[in-house]
Amino acid sequence: MSTVIEQAGGERADLRRLGALALRAGSLLAFVAVLVFFSATAPFFLSFFNFTNVIAQSAILAILAFGMTVVIIGGGGNVVTGGIDLSVAANLGLCAAVYAALIQAGQGDATAILTTMATGLAVGAANAFAVVAVGILPLLATLAVMNVAAGLELVLTENTVLSASTPFLMAINNVGPFGVPNLAWILLVVAVVLILLVQFTPVGLRLQAVGEHREAARAAGLPVARYVAATYLVSGLFAALGAILSVAYLSGSSTGSAELLLGVVVTALLGVVFSRRLVPTIGGTLLAALFIGFLGNGFQLLNISSYWVSGVQGALILLVVAATSVLRRKES
Amino acid sequence: MPSTDHSAAPPALAMHGLIKDFGGVRALDGAEFEVGPGEIHGLVGQNGAGKSTLIKVLAGIYRPDEGRIAIDGQPVTDLTPHQVDQLGIQFIHQDRLLVPSFTVGEAVFLGREHTAAGLLARRRMEREARALITEQFGVELPKGALISELTTAQQQLVQIVRALAQKPRILVFDEPTAALVKREVDRLFAIIERLRGQGITIVYISHYLQEIERLCDRVTVLRNGRHVGTVSPAATPAREIARMMVARDLGELFPKRQVAPGAPALAVRNLARRPHLQEVSFTLRRGEILGVTGLLGSGVKELVRLLFGLDRPDAGQIEFGGQVATLGNPAAAVARGMALVPEDRRGQGVALDASVRDNTTLASLDRFVRGGLVRRAEEDGETRRLIEELRIRTPGPDTAVRDLSGGNQQKVVIAKWLARRSEVYLLDEPTVGVDIAAKVEIYRLIGELVERGAAVLLVSSDLDELAGIADRILVLYRGAVVRELPAENASSDALLAWSTGAMEAA
Repeated sequence: MSTVIEQAGGERADLRRLGALALRAGSLLAFVAVLVFFSATAPFFLSFFNFTNVIAQSAILAILAFGMTVVIIGGGGNVVTGGIDLSVAANLGLCAAVYAALIQAGQGDATAILTTMATGLAVGAANAFAVVAVGILPLLATLAVMNVAAGLELVLTENTVLSASTPFLMAINNVGPFGVPNLAWILLVVAVVLILLVQFTPVGLRLQAVGEHREAARAAGLPVARYVAATYLVSGLFAALGAILSVAYLSGSSTGSAELLLGVVVTALLGVVFSRRLVPTIGGTLLAALFIGFLGNGFQLLNISSYWVSGVQGALILLVVAATSVLRRKES
Repeated sequence: MPSTDHSAAPPALAMHGLIKDFGGVRALDGAEFEVGPGEIHGLVGQNGAGKSTLIKVLAGIYRPDEGRIAIDGQPVTDLTPHQVDQLGIQFIHQDRLLVPSFTVGEAVFLGREHTAAGLLARRRMEREARALITEQFGVELPKGALISELTTAQQQLVQIVRALAQKPRILVFDEPTAALVKREVDRLFAIIERLRGQGITIVYISHYLQEIERLCDRVTVLRNGRHVGTVSPAATPAREIARMMVARDLGELFPKRQVAPGAPALAVRNLARRPHLQEVSFTLRRGEILGVTGLLGSGVKELVRLLFGLDRPDAGQIEFGGQVATLGNPAAAVARGMALVPEDRRGQGVALDASVRDNTTLASLDRFVRGGLVRRAEEDGETRRLIEELRIRTPGPDTAVRDLSGGNQQKVVIAKWLARRSEVYLLDEPTVGVDIAAKVEIYRLIGELVERGAAVLLVSSDLDELAGIADRILVLYRGAVVRELPAENASSDALLAWSTGAMEAA
C-alpha cells in the first residue's frame, strides 16, 4: 500500500516539476523571443549603446523591486496576507525630495546621502512597526504608510520639482568603465551582493523559511519577527538608494514617483516565474525588471505608444499569477 | 536496552506542579511528568487532557503559570525555544514542520547551516543529510527532491534526521504515526528502539494504546491537566490504561435510549448521482437513529450532500414527512426542517470568530426579529436556554466559538438547529476530533434529540459508535446499500466486513 502512495506522490511531484519547468522555460523563451523580435524589427535595438542604456534605465525600478522581493520572501507569497510593501514608490518620492531639498539648502552630498538613507529607513521602520509589533496586514499597513510618506513629500515639495545637481549626482549619471553607464554598474553590483546574501547565505535561507513556512521557522528556533521586521527596513533602505539614483537620473526630485508602484509589484511577481522552485528570488526579479525594460524600449523604438506598456504589464501579471496559482493548486 | 533503574540517576526530564490557564480554562492543573534517562516514555490522555499543552511548555512555546522543570536534575526556568534547543531537546512534530520548497539538506540544517566563507555549503549539507538518512534508516530519498515532492513518511524521516543532526539527549515524538501506513509504522518503531539503544531518552505521545504497549518502557496518563499515574505497559493491560484515561467504564460510553419509532420523517427513493451513488432507498422515522457507514468512495459523502441539497441527484426523490422535496436546494431543505451537522465543523459548522449567541441564532434569526431589528435580549434568552440544556461549557453567550473546545463547538452547531426547531438531523461524523467525555455528551444529546421526536441520520466511520447508538445501520459499498443491519446484530467487525466488501464475495 505504501508503495502505491509513494508512487502517486512521485507522479504528482513529477507533474508539478514539469509544470514549473514549462512555466520557467516558457518565460525565458518569451523573454528571448521579445529580444529577437525587437532586434529584427526595431532599428538600433541590438546596439551596445541601447542595450546598456535600457539596463541603466531599469536600475531604479529593479532596485525598488529588489526591496519588494525581500519583503515578499520574508512575508510569504500570498498576495493578500503575505509580505508586500506598497510604500516603496512613495518612500522613493519622499527620499528624493529630502535629497533634493538638502542640496538646495546648500548641504553637501554626504549629508544628503545619510539623511536620505535615514528617511528611507524611518519609513521602513514605520512599516515594520505596523506589521510586526501591531500585527496589521502588510497590505493595509504599508498602504497607510504609503499615504503618510506621500503626504510628507508634498509638504516638503509643495508638489513642485526640486532640481538638484552636484558632481556626485552627475557622476552617477555618467558612463563608467567599458562604456557602460554607471547606473547599470550600480544595478549589477547591488544585484550580485543581494543574490549572494539572499540565495547563498544562512540569513537568506532562514528568511526564505520564515516567509514560506513560519511555523517551521519558529520550530527551528529562528527569531521570526525580527526577520520580518528587517525585510521592511531593507525595503526602506532600497527605496532611499533608488531615490538617490532617481535624483541623479532626473537632476532633481519628481512629482510622479507614486506611479512606479505598479511596475514594482509587477516586476517582483513576474520574477517568480524565472526561479527554479517558483519562489521569489533576486535573480528572477532582475530578469523581470530587464524584461519589462526591454519591452518598453522596443515599443518606443517601434514608435508604438508607451501607453501599451502598462496594458502589457497588466496582462503579464494576470498570466503569471494564473499560471502559478494553477501549479500551486496541483501541489495541494 | 531499557534503563532498568530509574532511581539511581536523576530523571532526564522532570516537570512538577505545572499549572497553565487559558482565559479561564485550566489546561494544566498541577501536572507531573518524569522521564528516566534512556527510556521510551509514553504520554497518553484524551484530547484536552493537557498533553499538547505540556509538550508546548517543554518546547518553550508556552510559559507555565506555575511549576518547576528540571533537565538531568538541573532546574531550568523561563524556557525559550532556543534554550530548549541548546539543552538538547528535540521535537518530531505531528504536522512535519518543514519548508516545502527546500531541499533535504536545507531542511535538515535550517538554523544551523554549514557554510564556507560565509556562504551556504549546499552540497555538503545535502551530502551529510542524505548520508545520515541512509545510515539511520537504510533508505535513499529521490535525488534532488524538494520537501514538497516527498511522501509523508519520507518527510518524517527528514524531520527525525533534522533532530538527530542536533545530537539530542531527549527526543519528543508527537503523534508520529497519525499519517503513516502499517509498514511505515513498523519501520518507525525499529528506528525509535535503535535511538534508545544510542542512549537517547524518548518521549512518545500517542492515543493508540497498542503502540504504547509495543514500544514504551513506561507510560504516564494525564486527565484534565492532572497526572493520573505512571505505569509499565508490560504489567498493565491496555484496557486498564484506557480506564485511567477516561475514569469511567467504556461500557457507559453509549447511553442507549429506547424510543418507539414514529411516522416516517424522511423517505429516500432510488436516489442516484452517478458514478458515486447508484440507487439508494431508505426510510427514516421520527425517534429513530439510522446509522450510515461506508469507506471512502462508497458514496456516503455524496449521499449527505444530496440529502441536504448541496448537489442535485440524477434520479430519485426525497420526501420530508410525506411531501416530495425540492432537490438540490439547501435553503428548501432547511425550510423543511433538515439540519446538517457537517464533518468539517470549524469550516462549515460554525462561524469561528462569531459569538456563541450569533452562531446559535444564525439559522433562526427570523424568530428574533421585531420591526426589522434583531432583538438581542430574546436571542440571549434562547442562547442561554440552549447553553443550559446542552451543557455547553462557555463563559457566556458572548464568547467567540473559536475559544470553545471541539466538543462544545459541536454542541453549538446542534444548538443552532434546535433553535430552528429542526426535525431531521443529518450528523456527519459528529464526534471526530472531540475527546471521549465530549463524545459521551454528544451521544446523550443525540439520544435526547430522538426522544423529542426528531429523526437522526448518523453518518460515521466509527463503527463502535454506530453499533453503540444507532437503531439500524446501512452499509454502503461502491455507491449502493449492500446491507441493512439492526443494531443488535451489528458488531463493529460485521460492519467492517460489509463495508470493505469482504462479505460480498462470500
